[in-house]
Amino acid sequence: MIVEGSYTLSGPRNAVWDLLQDPAVLAKVLPGAKRLDRVAEDQFEGEMSVGVGPVTAAMFSVRVTVADKNEPDSFSMQVEGKGPIGFTRGKAQVELTDQDGGTQLTYSADLKIGGKIAGVGQRLLDTTSKAMTKQGLEALNRELEGRLTGAPVAAPPARWPVVVGGTALILVVLVILLLVL
Amino acid sequence: MKPPPFDYHRPRSRDEALFLLAEHGDGAKLLAGGQSLVPTMNFRLAQPSVLIDLNGVDDLAGIEQTGGGILVGAMTRQRAVEQSAPVRERVPLLSETMPFIAHPQIRNRGTVGGSIAHADPAAELPAIAVAAGARLQAQGPAGSRWIAADGFYPGLFTTALAHDELLTAIEFPTSPPRTGWAFDEVARRHGDYALVGAAAMVCLEAGGACNDVRIVLLSVGDGPVVAASAAQLAGEAPSDDAIRDLADAVTHHDVDPPGDIHASAAYRRQLTRVLTGRVLRRAIERAGR
Repeated sequence: MIVEGSYTLSGPRNAVWDLLQDPAVLAKVLPGAKRLDRVAEDQFEGEMSVGVGPVTAAMFSVRVTVADKNEPDSFSMQVEGKGPIGFTRGKAQVELTDQDGGTQLTYSADLKIGGKIAGVGQRLLDTTSKAMTKQGLEALNRELEGRLTGAPVAAPPARWPVVVGGTALILVVLVILLLVL
Repeated sequence: MKPPPFDYHRPRSRDEALFLLAEHGDGAKLLAGGQSLVPTMNFRLAQPSVLIDLNGVDDLAGIEQTGGGILVGAMTRQRAVEQSAPVRERVPLLSETMPFIAHPQIRNRGTVGGSIAHADPAAELPAIAVAAGARLQAQGPAGSRWIAADGFYPGLFTTALAHDELLTAIEFPTSPPRTGWAFDEVARRHGDYALVGAAAMVCLEAGGACNDVRIVLLSVGDGPVVAASAAQLAGEAPSDDAIRDLADAVTHHDVDPPGDIHASAAYRRQLTRVLTGRVLRRAIERAGR
């Protein structure tokens, strides 16, 4: 499954880069992330709670390896996620470019998805991944704004979907599972 | 596969159902027709710790004619709505859509309220509720309230119902005079989830110009998608060119459909264009009769 798109963040590239390399920030903005730890220089491991609509949130273990680091322009990630309702594996590419005082984040990922959700949930992979990616990127942007102004990070909008997604990859970008029949 | 163990309750009244819902919070799921929930549980994708069965609550089903339209109780079986003469007469868009929903066996058990509350983006009833301008009645610990269908679906599998609220009824307004309607969808086999579906409601003025045009699509986004471009037909006599331009506008500006193994995003766009044109033409023709 190809997941790709772009989003404009309200801050300069260096600030965005720093945020993207910080597991504490990622754990905060990735929908459903319970824990994300740096286990080696460019390796992260963690757990995410994933569920959407009637699909009950289930725990996924994730492993991310960052590579091709080209600060503050681009990097790639190898991602793996595994849980009771399925698994995912893939590679993602993230690029940052300046845009009107902010940063345009462009992402592209090629994911293999298997297991139960791939078997019965194909119908919703795309919609769910878009919804979760949007949540994560919006959260990242709030975090960025908070850091830049020094003000407390804004709360998410009142009507956040109950969707709790598992993304893993690119920060926001890749979504892992969840699906419903 | 069968579900893991869960607690089961069968309340005999709305109050008892509401009490159970409040008590068990997020771990509880309401059981209506079970046509979406139970298979999900059998696959163990849904694992509620508590199931609150609404089938024992007597006063949640029924089709009633009101001053403004038809009031359908949330637990009314889809089959009952399909066979209802008052519905056919007053809300023909709803009647026309029913046979497209899954299969007769599913419609025998499935409920109108269950489908509306489940908020599957490929479901027909949520799109019809929005297209017909219906309103939903929700009951919670503080009492009852009405919610307009437009705005009832803020996101994927999400409704405007609070966690402690029960959907109790749906009121579909009577189609005004000189109003046409149409629904159509494309699926690979009859009964499959729609690849794309479209509903249209058109009201014509005495002179033949379009007064109110509503187009709602399903399976192209997070929930029912209202085509904002429909407004461009208002005040105009609906020529073939105008209809074709509108179908193009909807396809290019109003939808961002997903791609999956069933249909690519490009194919869904093509279906959007064709179905929008088709339901619009049919609705206009019916409005003129």
